Amino acid sequence: MSVEKTKPWDEWIREQDDPRYAHKKPEALDGVVVLDLSRAHMGGCFGASLLAELGAFVIRIEPPGGDAARKFTPFGMIHKDTGLGYLNEGRNKYHVTLNLEVEEGRKIYRDLARYADVVIETFKPGMADEMGIGYRQLSQVNPGLIYCAIYTYGQFGPEAEKNRAKPDYDIVDQARGGIMAITGEPVEPEIPEECRVPTKEGNWMGWYAGGVWAAYGALVALIWRMESGKGQFIDVAPPEGLLKYCDYHLQWYHQAKELRSRIGPYDSAVFPYTFVKTKDGTNFISGFSDVNWTHLCNIMGKPEVKDMFPTIFDRLNPENQPKIHHVVEEWSRNLTSQELTDTVMKFNLAPDAVGVVATAKVNKPLDTLGEDNWWIRCAFVKLNDPNYGEITIANPAFNRMTETPARVKWLCRPVGADNVIIYKRFLGYGNTKLEELKSKGVI
Amino acid sequence: MGSDFFQWAAEVLDPKKAFLKPEALKGVRVLEVCTLIFGPAVPDWLTDFGAEVIKVELPGAGDTMRYVTPYGFFWKNLSPAFEEQNHNKYHVGLDLRKPEGREIFLDLAKKSDLVVENMRAGTLDSWGVGYRDLKEVNPHIIYLANNGFGQWGPYAQGRPSYDAIAQSVSGLMSVSGFPGRPPLKAGVWIGDFTGACTSSIALLAALYYAKKTGKGQFIEFSQGENLMRWLDWSWLYAHFTGENRPQAGNRDLAICPSDLFKCKDGFIAIAAFSEEEFSGLCQAMGKAGLADDPRFKDPLDRLKDENAKAILGIVADWTKGKTMAEIDELGAQYGFAATRVLNAKDQYESEHWRSRGTVCEFEDPLYDTVVECGPVPKMSETPGRMKWTSRPVGFDNEHVFLRIAGLSRDSLKELEEEGVIGKWGDRVGAKPPEDWDGKKGLFYL
Repeated sequence: MSVEKTKPWDEWIREQDDPRYAHKKPEALDGVVVLDLSRAHMGGCFGASLLAELGAFVIRIEPPGGDAARKFTPFGMIHKDTGLGYLNEGRNKYHVTLNLEVEEGRKIYRDLARYADVVIETFKPGMADEMGIGYRQLSQVNPGLIYCAIYTYGQFGPEAEKNRAKPDYDIVDQARGGIMAITGEPVEPEIPEECRVPTKEGNWMGWYAGGVWAAYGALVALIWRMESGKGQFIDVAPPEGLLKYCDYHLQWYHQAKELRSRIGPYDSAVFPYTFVKTKDGTNFISGFSDVNWTHLCNIMGKPEVKDMFPTIFDRLNPENQPKIHHVVEEWSRNLTSQELTDTVMKFNLAPDAVGVVATAKVNKPLDTLGEDNWWIRCAFVKLNDPNYGEITIANPAFNRMTETPARVKWLCRPVGADNVIIYKRFLGYGNTKLEELKSKGVI
Repeated sequence: MGSDFFQWAAEVLDPKKAFLKPEALKGVRVLEVCTLIFGPAVPDWLTDFGAEVIKVELPGAGDTMRYVTPYGFFWKNLSPAFEEQNHNKYHVGLDLRKPEGREIFLDLAKKSDLVVENMRAGTLDSWGVGYRDLKEVNPHIIYLANNGFGQWGPYAQGRPSYDAIAQSVSGLMSVSGFPGRPPLKAGVWIGDFTGACTSSIALLAALYYAKKTGKGQFIEFSQGENLMRWLDWSWLYAHFTGENRPQAGNRDLAICPSDLFKCKDGFIAIAAFSEEEFSGLCQAMGKAGLADDPRFKDPLDRLKDENAKAILGIVADWTKGKTMAEIDELGAQYGFAATRVLNAKDQYESEHWRSRGTVCEFEDPLYDTVVECGPVPKMSETPGRMKWTSRPVGFDNEHVFLRIAGLSRDSLKELEEEGVIGKWGDRVGAKPPEDWDGKKGLFYL
């Protein structure tokens, strides 16, 4: 019952999932209506973006004048009306304005929510409830509603209530998530004092972790609703999302009462698994299991080193790590990053290879943008947007699906740009009504 | 309403009531052919919400992750680093490269909904258990393939990857760390976990679509490409300026103030962007006038490099004389974000994290009391739950092969003799605890 395979795997699968033809295929979440009520919070925006990339009809609700998130931008750079952080997460969303500070605005929101399958919000906990637009109120008119609230301290628990006046920012999510305590350079004399401190990830790792887990909860709930017809309330705390990414962190503390320290480029559980200097930059290189360590020693042309550190545990010994690092660097310094990668790959692909060594140049963003591979794979896309001109962004990372590939249809929209279509489509408002609401400051 | 919100939320989300509520993914069966993290974390999180996962490992040694552990530490012969992404699963030892192993796997695939693997591109296809093979026996199957470089393209030709490769190729490390310092590797395997999490979004969306239309599909996912997607404004910045996003330590270049500050007894993270929050911070510092300073009043002006440096300097001078607790309190009082940096001990001992079921202590049938990170989204109707932790290689062979695959005891014995199926080898990491009595924790004797 073997399947006849006339084409090599990579060729066959590319024919099935090349993102260049994504627009010819259906979208997984077509027909799912999402209200994105993120306020000054890129995590909420990211979570809603993930659903929008997969075809959900996402209505982004901003206060008149635009959400503060449009101002999250490096050095204050504004492109047209929007900062770079927000511009990247406006993708595929309909943008409307609505003033929730006034009762008329809240009523319109409750009416819109009748149509919603999913709400994502990032208010301080209890605030939407107090305003009469929380889950308890909306679910009365729409029992199938899936309502996802994102907040640093969550929606319940002793610290949620105590800290409820604090806003949710990426830096505090990273600080509470556990990752920051163990990321950074070690306390060693040659490292400047201000640099050997707990260090965050350069990107919005905390916020984005909150967003992806919100989308996760929403999808799980959506699947269950198909059977049960029931909606639900979902509470996502971004630091908890990060803790889930913290390896053996909690387990090790429970079992050994040990805490991980900041060890810069080293790793306490796998070695070698580190950076080495090359002639023209830095490469990451690994070879930690016995067979891969042997393979690395052979590639370096130093088979004698293998037996100096014969087991995984010899190589993990903190005293041995710098010695091994030194040996690898003696070799790597004579090669450019590209030569190093090519050499390793030549050995990896040799028919008699028993081990595998992974390596890559440590890229800066422009290095990455300069590599053909990512453009061939459609990891990036250049769009010519009617409002924002030509831009380059990262495509959805799941744009290679054979039936329902994700895609970017448009980049972002100016503040309130979709008021006409959304208020007509869902609430039947004509121009007279829109003008009236505008004059009252509701939209 | 309003005033009783926290009480209501604590009731509807109470983790202690999880087992009294339905599971969203009940009846969804998943086959896992994964090693390390980027693969296994995907089915792991599905089990939290009720999916049934059969983890296929090679008899004897099993998943390489069983031997990845901090400084060679093992607890009851188990690696804590293996535990993190292996809960609530059934562990079988099955050699897919042998024809009988392949046949059993194809039979299981007929009864399954999802397959997750993280081998190099084309590996399972070459063994006759890839997507092309599985969709012949089960056209509804959804198949997720996670790896470093995807299934096609120049780098997909046999190039291996790990978390740190993803951190390298994406540029993440180059935008982390302090100016003038080397690129900074994340202290955790962030490329694996974020990749697993984002690929789960595609998988769940595909499951939703399959439930609607009956159609399965193949999904490929690269961890390096995923981190590119997570690098927020880096690409637009490169596009508009032609420059690399600079390293900035703990300073957020797009939000000001947002940084980590030194105080009397440690470090405190502070952020205040809106005019209201910033004004609150200025009052807390006893410098209310700063809120009207033309350099700082408008959040966009505050982001300009020299203004940002000025205000961050002012905040740093203030925090030097305060304790972490004082500033944390002031944040709650004046409405700006402030927290100290939590480590595993802080989280482990926190009443808050425990009451939320995030630090989750439970009884494992084999290992007794374990503490793990509980399910992340807290759901009112279909809460996630932790049942058991990892199990030795092949520990659930009988349960899976007899009850689910429907094989006979006799054939099991034969298959074991031929090395098609098997259990743990005599290795720390693969085998049960030393004092195991031959029965404890088994689901089917």
